[in-house]
Amino acid sequence: MKRQKVLFLKQNYILRILKNFMFAGLFIIALLLILVHKIDLGIISGLSKTVLGITSPFMYVVTLPSQYISDAYKKTSEFFNVYEENNRLNQENQELFLLKEKLQAIETENEILKSLLHHFDTPNTQSYTALVIAENGDAFSNSFIIYLDGASQKIKTGYAVVNEQGLIGRIELVSGSYAKVGLITDISSKIPVISQKSRDRGILIGENKKELKLIFTPHLASFKKGDILVSSGIGGGIPANIPVARIQKADLDTITAIPLFNPTKIEYVKIIAYDITPSKETLEALQ
Amino acid sequence: MKTSFKKILSALGIFIVPIISILILELIFYLPRTSSFFNFMRFAPFYTGIYFWLSLRKDIFNIFSVFILGIFADVLTSKIIGINLLTFLFLYFISLKMFLYFNILHFTYSWILFTIALITSLAFKYAIISIFYQTLISFLPILFEFILISSLYPILARFYLYTEIKFIHLEERYENQ
Repeated sequence: MKRQKVLFLKQNYILRILKNFMFAGLFIIALLLILVHKIDLGIISGLSKTVLGITSPFMYVVTLPSQYISDAYKKTSEFFNVYEENNRLNQENQELFLLKEKLQAIETENEILKSLLHHFDTPNTQSYTALVIAENGDAFSNSFIIYLDGASQKIKTGYAVVNEQGLIGRIELVSGSYAKVGLITDISSKIPVISQKSRDRGILIGENKKELKLIFTPHLASFKKGDILVSSGIGGGIPANIPVARIQKADLDTITAIPLFNPTKIEYVKIIAYDITPSKETLEALQ
Repeated sequence: MKTSFKKILSALGIFIVPIISILILELIFYLPRTSSFFNFMRFAPFYTGIYFWLSLRKDIFNIFSVFILGIFADVLTSKIIGINLLTFLFLYFISLKMFLYFNILHFTYSWILFTIALITSLAFKYAIISIFYQTLISFLPILFEFILISSLYPILARFYLYTEIKFIHLEERYENQ
């Protein structure tokens, strides 16, 4: 009986020690998890992929009724505005016809100059359309989930995601037919850009705000309010000359820009599968 | 044999109820929306749930429940694994310390204490993220998130209270104490 009591006391003592150090232990585990994420051993990204694969179909099914309602509303409003829309399109068509003539002349001139300089384009660029199914951000991150459909095999992490206005973000995670897109406004986003007018370079970083911050700019750079920043193509992840943001404020110490897209109005996006290694044809031509 | 197995299941069930209630609310809050405004209240079920269950049923909601919820939140956001877990553990620690010094007799006191615990936890999360990215991020979204979650607390607490009354028997509550 006596021995049993001692054993009971010992067990209780161990439990008490465990209880006292439980909080500290779990806190250390959490810190270690952050470190593992920083090192990126692939375990955590694999786990995230699985969860994305499980949750995304559920989200897609949930969005379908709202999408049908939205489509029906759009079609009805388009039906009532068809006369005004037709007039606007006729006017736009006339303007575009004039522009087309000008562009054809510039394109021919460009081709001649390229052949004179022995310049080769990087043609390894393909694009795929995807449907936006859900916003997936919180106060500390900005992202959304897209449905890739048949193109899922060809999409890789890091590819640029654009819409008709410009760059939206990059592919963060691909799981089956779904992918997670990290927006350019996210804190982890860093895009090498160049000013369309002054050709000054910089890095556009996200701050989880509507505005983006331009850093690493040259001392004598002449950025002005309203200038469009396009991707510079440095680093090889994003093709050059994709519009990214418009400069909002250009002071001596800070330069801020606003993205060209409206996150609430994105329905479809285009993924640019971009590879810096040249295609077979270019390689042959280079050889 | 059957009765003992049933007893084990019911005992386990009591521990699962708080976690399940939080996860169900979280899934509702995670439904896709067209506005980024809803992003700021995505984590409301987690913060409110952890605080509420700790204040009401410390016997069935312990540090392991917080750990499970933290891992779930991290995997769901797939951003930085460990950040939410660390924040939830911090909220757990702060809440426990608060309950040591304050005897909550009225819901309003509980709400006030929740706002203090929440702002401290969010400030802690802000600090970790700033260290991780080596830059000071904007504090305004966090402030907005704080206001939204704080104002949602009474509604969500009502749901948790309903779950507690509906799925955990009163007898078991007194038996465990």
